[in-house]
Amino acid sequence: MSLRSQLLKGVLEGCILSIVEKKSVYGYELSMILQQYGLDVSEGSIYPILLRLQKEKLIHGQMKKSPAGPNRKYYHLTDDGKKALIDFRTHWNDLKQPVDLILEKED
Amino acid sequence: MDAQALIKENNEKRKLLSKENLEWYEDMLVYIRLSFDKSEQETEEVLSEILDHLLEAQEDGKTIEEVFGDDPKAYADEITGELPKMITKKRFLFISMAILYFLASVALFSVIFKAISYYAFDLGELTETYYLGTQALKLGLSIPIAYIFMILIIHYLRWSTFRKINKVKEFFIFWLFGIFSVGIFVLVYYFIPDFGPTIELPIYLFIGVAVILYIFATIIKRKM
Repeated sequence: MSLRSQLLKGVLEGCILSIVEKKSVYGYELSMILQQYGLDVSEGSIYPILLRLQKEKLIHGQMKKSPAGPNRKYYHLTDDGKKALIDFRTHWNDLKQPVDLILEKED
Repeated sequence: MDAQALIKENNEKRKLLSKENLEWYEDMLVYIRLSFDKSEQETEEVLSEILDHLLEAQEDGKTIEEVFGDDPKAYADEITGELPKMITKKRFLFISMAILYFLASVALFSVIFKAISYYAFDLGELTETYYLGTQALKLGLSIPIAYIFMILIIHYLRWSTFRKINKVKEFFIFWLFGIFSVGIFVLVYYFIPDFGPTIELPIYLFIGVAVILYIFATIIKRKM
């Protein structure tokens, strides 16, 4: 596994939880949102993560008719997911500054 | 939507894929479905999500490699690795169904085999003497043997999914495998001695047995 994908693994989970918290999304929509934010991941890589988050009961997926017609699986955050997101935010904030500082000093 | 409805919808929607995308998707579909101990509902849901995603990407003019990377087998393994297992009750029903279908086909084939040898070759009789001990042992052995063969075939199919294998070669592999598996069954049947109490049964009785087993298997299938 490359350094980049190792770094991404946990971060991507946190980002997906955060997006799903704001509104229910389906797979393709989610991958577009990630790309709009500039997170350049292969679109397909969200599906294994969505499966994992469902297994851990952090998100819940439901097949629903979409406005455009076809059935789509929409995801929303569960109560456990909300807690996991709060945890992720705390950990991320704890990490972000020190890591940035260390990296800047090395310049 | 239950798994059956999703499968139906999938069959229709798949027709909208371009030739190249369809090839990629069908490999993915076969490989993921062959991971048969996973929850069918979750399997079909993720397959339908991947199909929808592929259709939208196709409309936006993206290639498969851009969307799903260039290693389809690794991607399929990632998906199956995250799929939840079939729940124990379903697994039990699934195994019972498979055994009943297997026994139904054993009963049917033995009738066909005996009828042909009687009418066409004047061999054997329409009423046979069965040794109960022998029959029980034969059935007891043939179920695990059939199970092992099924697992071998599934492993081969999974292994061959993302490879381009020569059709002639594949035909010979299956041909050899067919002979080998029939040979094993013949060997097992041949070397089991006659023992246990005997019973005389008309062979046509087994048509009824096959039908009853088939009906039970189908009832279980509906329940799943």
